[in-house]
Amino acid sequence: MRQLQSLLVFLAAILTFARASSDYHEQLVLRPLQPSLLLASFNFQSNTTWASFEQQNFRYFPRSLGQILQHANTRELHLRFSLGQWDAENWGARPWKGAREGGTGVELWAWVEAETDEEADGRWLTLTNALSGLFCASLNFIDSTRTTRPVLSFQPSGYHTNSTASKLHLLHGTLPREVVCTENLTPFLKLLPCKGKAGISSLLDGHKLFDASWQSMSLDVTPICRSGSEDCQLQITQTTDMVLDIQRSKRPRDNPIPRPIPSEELKCDTSKPYNSFDTCYPLDISAQEEEWSLSQIFGHTMKGSCPLAENESYPVCINVPHARDIYTSGAREHKDESGYMRCFELTPQEDFEMILPPQDLSERAPLEQPLLYAERSFIGYGQERGGVQAILTNPSPTDAVDFVYMESLPWFMKLYLHTLKAKINGNSEDVIQEMYYRPALDRKRGTQLEVRILIPANSTVVLTYDFEKAILRYTEYPPDANRGFDIAPAVITIGNVSIRTTSLLLPLPTPDFSMPYNVIILTSTIMALAFGSIFNLLVRRFVAADEAEKWDVRALRLIIKGAISRFARRFMKKTTKKD
Amino acid sequence: MASLLSSGVLLRRNPHILKLPPYLSFLCVLIGVAWLLVLPLDNYSRNTYISENALLPGQVHTYFAGSDQNVFRGYKREIDALEDKPNIEVNDKLEEILKASGLKVARQSYEYKSAGQTYTGENIYAILHAPRGDATEAIVLVAAWKNMEGKLNRSGIPLILTLARYFKRWSLWSKDIIFLVTADSTAGPQAWVDAYHDTHQSPAIDSLPLKSGALQGAIVIDYPFDHRFHSLHIAYDGINGQLPNLDLLNTVVSIASGQMGIGVSLQQMWQHSDSYQDRLQTMLRGMMNQGLGHASGPHSSFIPYHVDAITLQPFGDGWQDEMAMGRVIESTFRSLNNLLEHLHQSFFFYLLMQANRFVSIGTYLPSAMLVAVNFTIMAIFLWVKSGYPQSTNSKTPSTVEAEEKTSQLNSSQKGNAKVITAEESSAVRERELLLPLAVVAGSQFLGVLPLYIFNHTPQNMLTPVFVSFAVANNALPYILSRTLTHLFNPTTQQYQLIKSFSLLLLGLFLSSLATLNFSLAFLVGLLATPLTYIYPTSSTSALSYVLKAVLALVLSVIAPTAVLVAASWSWGLSIEKVLTQAAYGWDVWGMNTQVVVWCVWWPAWIVGGVLLFGRPREETTKLNERGQESKAVI
Repeated sequence: MRQLQSLLVFLAAILTFARASSDYHEQLVLRPLQPSLLLASFNFQSNTTWASFEQQNFRYFPRSLGQILQHANTRELHLRFSLGQWDAENWGARPWKGAREGGTGVELWAWVEAETDEEADGRWLTLTNALSGLFCASLNFIDSTRTTRPVLSFQPSGYHTNSTASKLHLLHGTLPREVVCTENLTPFLKLLPCKGKAGISSLLDGHKLFDASWQSMSLDVTPICRSGSEDCQLQITQTTDMVLDIQRSKRPRDNPIPRPIPSEELKCDTSKPYNSFDTCYPLDISAQEEEWSLSQIFGHTMKGSCPLAENESYPVCINVPHARDIYTSGAREHKDESGYMRCFELTPQEDFEMILPPQDLSERAPLEQPLLYAERSFIGYGQERGGVQAILTNPSPTDAVDFVYMESLPWFMKLYLHTLKAKINGNSEDVIQEMYYRPALDRKRGTQLEVRILIPANSTVVLTYDFEKAILRYTEYPPDANRGFDIAPAVITIGNVSIRTTSLLLPLPTPDFSMPYNVIILTSTIMALAFGSIFNLLVRRFVAADEAEKWDVRALRLIIKGAISRFARRFMKKTTKKD
Repeated sequence: MASLLSSGVLLRRNPHILKLPPYLSFLCVLIGVAWLLVLPLDNYSRNTYISENALLPGQVHTYFAGSDQNVFRGYKREIDALEDKPNIEVNDKLEEILKASGLKVARQSYEYKSAGQTYTGENIYAILHAPRGDATEAIVLVAAWKNMEGKLNRSGIPLILTLARYFKRWSLWSKDIIFLVTADSTAGPQAWVDAYHDTHQSPAIDSLPLKSGALQGAIVIDYPFDHRFHSLHIAYDGINGQLPNLDLLNTVVSIASGQMGIGVSLQQMWQHSDSYQDRLQTMLRGMMNQGLGHASGPHSSFIPYHVDAITLQPFGDGWQDEMAMGRVIESTFRSLNNLLEHLHQSFFFYLLMQANRFVSIGTYLPSAMLVAVNFTIMAIFLWVKSGYPQSTNSKTPSTVEAEEKTSQLNSSQKGNAKVITAEESSAVRERELLLPLAVVAGSQFLGVLPLYIFNHTPQNMLTPVFVSFAVANNALPYILSRTLTHLFNPTTQQYQLIKSFSLLLLGLFLSSLATLNFSLAFLVGLLATPLTYIYPTSSTSALSYVLKAVLALVLSVIAPTAVLVAASWSWGLSIEKVLTQAAYGWDVWGMNTQVVVWCVWWPAWIVGGVLLFGRPREETTKLNERGQESKAVI
């Protein structure tokens, strides 16, 4: 990881100092992880001068994005699409130290230039809606309830002149529910100069990317200026990081089902006394280096280098000990002196393939320890209240860690600030240095909580707080109401390193949605009954029993008799007249 | 409306109507029982169906077979070798196996104290993270090292290990899968699920070092033998009579019987011919388990946390092997994996009479409600009766009629409607409430005493304590009644009111309990029914003494203590075992059947006994005496 970082610094140095005009760089760094995983970090970076950006003279910088930024007066933009969970215990520190990573779903933050807060909100709305269209993501759902204005957590990474800096507004929004998928990758690739046709971007395939155990796509636009000069550039950096399961990726696409392997191919522990043709204690093969090749992992070989990345000398690097055997075609190998990194100079117009055979290797590239382990979960149960517990561990035996923990919670999760407690190694001690709290307004904005905490070396801080679950209106529930509501990951900022916890699923009291139907039926019945009886009482005439008209068979008989006699009399009259 | 009101008043005063309630309440009990008995008929029960469309049970191919069976046999050899090893050593091996499968493993140790005994153990669990998931939801696969009978889960543990290795290969999981191996079937799962929701008591129970998201379901494997099996037995009762969502059960039934061709049985009905008797028996066994509110398997601890869970127990001798069992679990997990929402569609309140026949709460609830209503009817009747002016002397029916004709008529006017009633009946006698209220409240509070005693006595003392309590319990009503007569000499009206309040409370408690734990409410209601018909008499004839003796016998037979003895005798368990289990349930599971027994049923029984031995004072003579006294003073 350290090698990777040093390489990046070198790269950045080239970018900022060597050439002032437009240029484009791309690089892929591969790093095998335990057990049988592969981290692939793709980095694409291009610069444009501020002057040509202002004149809408785009070369490497994508026009579609540039126009959106100009329209929304956005000076700095960070967009993240992430999926999965980074396993810091086994995989070490995050790629790019977490700087190019977002929480699960979509995360967006930007510095928007505006005179007033209202104007900034309007421009933010423009920005989210435009980006929503560009990236086929539901970014337009980042409304006021999901937008926060972080105070302690985010710092601009680019250079802003004093005059613009005073007018900049930082806005931050997350969509933890958004499922990142192929429709987000395609527009992402389209922003690249080589558009996924050549160079390392040709390896990016939706099937493989979204089968990864963890993946993150990022897009950053930052202004870069040489100190004290007006010679400014706008830098766009796109990265894609993914942790691929080697065994899973090696499965052919037409037969992806992990059927049991034939028993002859099973690797058994033959030292067991019971080992036989039908009994097998599987051998622990994690000690052995997995066999893989670039085309197995990504589905096809790399289609040469991108011709636009003219001065990129090493487009592909791999972080393995020098003792690891690697066979390549269409490239020249360069080992660096640290012993764990080697890079490949590609032959243009030729497919690049890399094969790593199985190998017993005692040595491994060292893992960089993360600065902080963070884990967040719900505590308690029931429909009314709950609690959140964040366990933050400083693994360093010597250094204390000072960080900002930021939560942006939806309004229906009503935080009780007085229950916010930080326990260090089980004791209540004052570790909270500073706090910024902006309470929620129902249906208008969410809770924003930023806490600066200092963890001494080798300690664990447990941060807990309680909350109450609000009852939503009938129409405010999503169609899958019983799934629960996603709570955005907490953002932990340690200097320029950022860590995100996992998102949470909050179950809210959910009505039975067939209830309105039942209520309608019940009320209709009651209305009918009440109306019926009252109407009856109002209209009906009450009389004594003897006053009532008799309607019995005798009366009917009398009527019939009368009718017959009348008829008979008339008939009689006729006959008498005749007579 | 006015006419309606006046006719209501008339109706209330009607002597024929006043005779009705005891018969009515008896009729309620009869109908309640009959209602329950007709439930197994085709017309009153329904076939089960899958309500949640996302589940799609049995719609996927299962691939758990082939060389995985070799691995299963290998693991099984390892587990067999660990049979008598201590918990920690077992978990060391399990951890090694689970880690080799590429899962994250964590352990949790726990210690419970109950009835002077200590229950300790260590749970081990592994989490398979959903490949693209974010640890927001999880499903749990549980196997207890020892099952409910204390037998080693001989095939269940290797199966869970093999499935862990197999599930790891799939990339389609949308929820995390937690593989949990608990040290025992009762305390271990409870400790784990409590700690998962952070409601455990530290430091006796460790917090969980590894966690995932909201639990959506749990399946328990209880496979304690190593031969092939015939069918699958599903245990589904939770603690305090709570049940898992019927969709979960239906899913497993449909997968096992529809996809795999494995029969399913419930409530230890190893043979089920789908006859009326078998259905009724299944239902009654289910009601008994629900009423007792105890855990019927490791799954029971999950249900109070709204995590739907069931235990699968293969049984019999047949040709289904452990891989078939594995495929049932695989297919069930694929179904649960499809869930978009927490299981909520189907029924949470049901009685099952067969694996695919059930009655829902709307159909069966009236049965327990009618039994509970019987008490309320009598309570209201006694309240009305206690306010009814007492006749000065006993009259024959003919004289009553004559008297009514001659009694003065009162006319009252409401609106423009005239009501003519007998003067005698419109007067309400003043009720003396203090003593009845004190007696009923006192007996209710007294219930805390046995509740405390039986939950806090050490195990070796339970039998002697119970025997002495049972003896004291039989004498208690007589002693209380004598004391009451001696100190306060209550009138008939006061006895009526004591009974009224007691029955009112009983009816109230039982009808609300019926919505939570139908079976318990029904059973307690039935056992308390004779209490409705116990009257105190002041008569001293030989017949009344014989009647009293017979009633006293009946009363002591339906005493909670006697019922407990009878029940443990019929189950072939010792009293000590039953009481230890009850205390264990109270301390570990949070079972509250005891509360119902000692604080609802027992007080009502005590009051019944007090009534039986009561000697109501002759009110009228007293009044006359007083009148004479006052005259004398004047």
